[in-house]
Amino acid sequence: MSSVLRPDVDDLRLIGFYLGKVLGGLGLVMLLPVPVALVLGEHNAAAALVLGASVSLTVRLLADAHLETRRTLSWAHGMVIVALAWIVGSAFAAIPMHVSGRFSSALGAYFESVSALTTTGMSVIHDLDHLETSMTLYRHLLQIAGGLGIIIVILELFSAGGSRVGTLYASEARDERILPNVLRTSRFIARVTLAFLVASVTALVPALVSAGFAAHRALEHALALFFASFSTGGFSVMQASVAYYHSPAVELIVLLIMFAGMLSFALHYALWSRDLREFTTHLETRTLAIIGTGLLLLLSLGLVREGTYADLAALVRRGLFTLVSAVSSTGHQVNAGETYLTDWGVLAPAAIVGAMAVGGMASSTAGGIKALRLAIAVKAVVHDIRKFLLPESAIVVTSYHVGRRRILRPETARAATTVLLLFVLSFLLGTMTALMTTDVDLTEALFEGVSIGSNIGISIGVVEPGMSPVLQAVYVLLMILGRLEFVAVLVLGGYLLSFRRSARVLGTPRDVSRGRRTSR
Amino acid sequence: MSGPSFGRRDERERRSSDGDRVRAADRRRVRWPVLGVVVLLGLLLALTTLLERSAPVTASSAPSVQSLADPLLDAPVRCTRADSTDRIEELRARILTDGRLTSAIATACPRLLDGRTVTYVGEVVGDVLRRDGGAWLLVNDDAYALEVGPFGPHREQRGFNGGLAVWVPDGLHEQLGEPGRHGRRGDVISVEGTFQRADPDDGGGMTVRADTLVVLAPSMPIDEPLNTPLVIAATGGALLATLAWAWARRRARERAR
Repeated sequence: MSSVLRPDVDDLRLIGFYLGKVLGGLGLVMLLPVPVALVLGEHNAAAALVLGASVSLTVRLLADAHLETRRTLSWAHGMVIVALAWIVGSAFAAIPMHVSGRFSSALGAYFESVSALTTTGMSVIHDLDHLETSMTLYRHLLQIAGGLGIIIVILELFSAGGSRVGTLYASEARDERILPNVLRTSRFIARVTLAFLVASVTALVPALVSAGFAAHRALEHALALFFASFSTGGFSVMQASVAYYHSPAVELIVLLIMFAGMLSFALHYALWSRDLREFTTHLETRTLAIIGTGLLLLLSLGLVREGTYADLAALVRRGLFTLVSAVSSTGHQVNAGETYLTDWGVLAPAAIVGAMAVGGMASSTAGGIKALRLAIAVKAVVHDIRKFLLPESAIVVTSYHVGRRRILRPETARAATTVLLLFVLSFLLGTMTALMTTDVDLTEALFEGVSIGSNIGISIGVVEPGMSPVLQAVYVLLMILGRLEFVAVLVLGGYLLSFRRSARVLGTPRDVSRGRRTSR
Repeated sequence: MSGPSFGRRDERERRSSDGDRVRAADRRRVRWPVLGVVVLLGLLLALTTLLERSAPVTASSAPSVQSLADPLLDAPVRCTRADSTDRIEELRARILTDGRLTSAIATACPRLLDGRTVTYVGEVVGDVLRRDGGAWLLVNDDAYALEVGPFGPHREQRGFNGGLAVWVPDGLHEQLGEPGRHGRRGDVISVEGTFQRADPDDGGGMTVRADTLVVLAPSMPIDEPLNTPLVIAATGGALLATLAWAWARRRARERAR
């Protein structure tokens, strides 16, 4: 008999307690740009941010005082808390955006907030080019918080919860603990991020100054570029995205930051420990190298065939940047979105769609199906073919290297192919909804559907401030599903359904008078 | 035989009835917190919507430039690389001789005007990137640039920004004031120059290489009025958070004792 545990008040208490922590973390993120707003005289932005922070922190404090519990988190709790953290957390993070008036509706502000936290980087903001500096900073801070993982940020901010929060960490689509302790893992991730922040800003500021920026503007853009690139989010200070800079040096540095963001933190740890062999033998790096080279050749062939660029330098500069932006799931653009349709022919955009679908590495800030899953799925197919070709008595063993040599087990292959299939379904849902609610053609709908479903952010023009609420809502769902890689959201769905169901776990009847579980 | 059977049924019914009562009690206990959260989120949405709508509007949406030339195509077009030369020629025949290029036309059909002399009008936004004997400008020709002005003093939502990169040689960009950003509308300029679909000197970017530049409307500060209800709400929220913090501390101290 299939039984689903119906949540009781204690479950809600536990969920509320941890959800409060998440909202508190987001409240602190909202407070960070407030000094900038006050210094620059952006009073309305300051008020909007303070309002959002106050509401979030109040909820956190009330949850702390009223809902504190020492109950252990189960996997189901972890999944539900993480899914709610992204859904409800995005709603609270949208408060400053909604009151700013720059979005067509509350749903638009929520879309922007989800897009930032899931590091998708699609935007529906009106008049970005005249946006307050503090709000620009806020949008980018949300991206880095989302890119690293809200739970990681909370671990860092509150240094509490320790082993109990480990369940949440794993539920947030991060299955690799780099160090034995989840808190130490989060510290390592924070250290890597800080090191890249310092290195990136140090490289970007001189590059921007030599591109013609004033020093203070160079610093502002350097920070924004780092947050958007390392988080693989892809928001930009200006609507023109990276094309705004007209600087090969800036593009090269951003490309390297996107590449760093695409790497899993386990690989960062290997590089940090000077274990270069891990880098060359890791299944994902090899897979990405093969896929990346293939897609680059396809993209170049497409652009050459169409004659889009007259010289090789331009082809490599625009093509390579766009490809890395797509495969890393960042979504920075060096071309106006519509030109992928009007000036790039068919083959080159197809290569970009392929790159967007693949995405970066598992347990990185990147989105997409992930190279690891594709590689495992391919290995599983090869494994099956080998089994058919060899004598029936032969024992076929397939192995792969991820951190150490591992045997490919059926459950690993099944998990990889299941998520792969769910991603494909989400791309289809995004595509079909766009076709039903707008007058775009299949190419545009598919391009945008894959971009949204993989949390990429390169837009061909379907996402815009006036888009239909239905499409907006579906895209919001797909962004969250893609970021959490389905499982947590599906578990939440099951949890919500179980409110309505009367099923109970066998062997744990409840005491009538107290409504609690008793052991039999 | 029938007695024990009835007995078992009674027992089952009694258990089932107990189970129903448990489930009903559980549902009641769970329903209120869930409803509370839903009501809280609803109230939050109502409050933020109210605050969003309370922002004062001080500017009318008067266009920054009067008697602007029409776009050089009177209807929207879209072409692809696969389009024949005949179709492009057919579109070229529709071009208005005294019309201006728009960023929408440029991206919708890049081949149409590649290498041709065009007039382009828009607001300089962001930064003037002076280097290598000239300056790169981002010149927006969207509704905020040419029709209603920057968002803030007015609350008209006119979609995304749209613009083109313009290269201006030394001798022309010196007349520019501060570019448009928050709190400022940049110079609205008219440039005449060559449109490049994939400018080799910009690594394949879409540009206009300007030969002449005229400032149609000089850069000016834009005052965004203070949203007083929002400031009051933020102050109230901050006070509420402080009270919650004090209360939480007190409870924690009590618990520690």
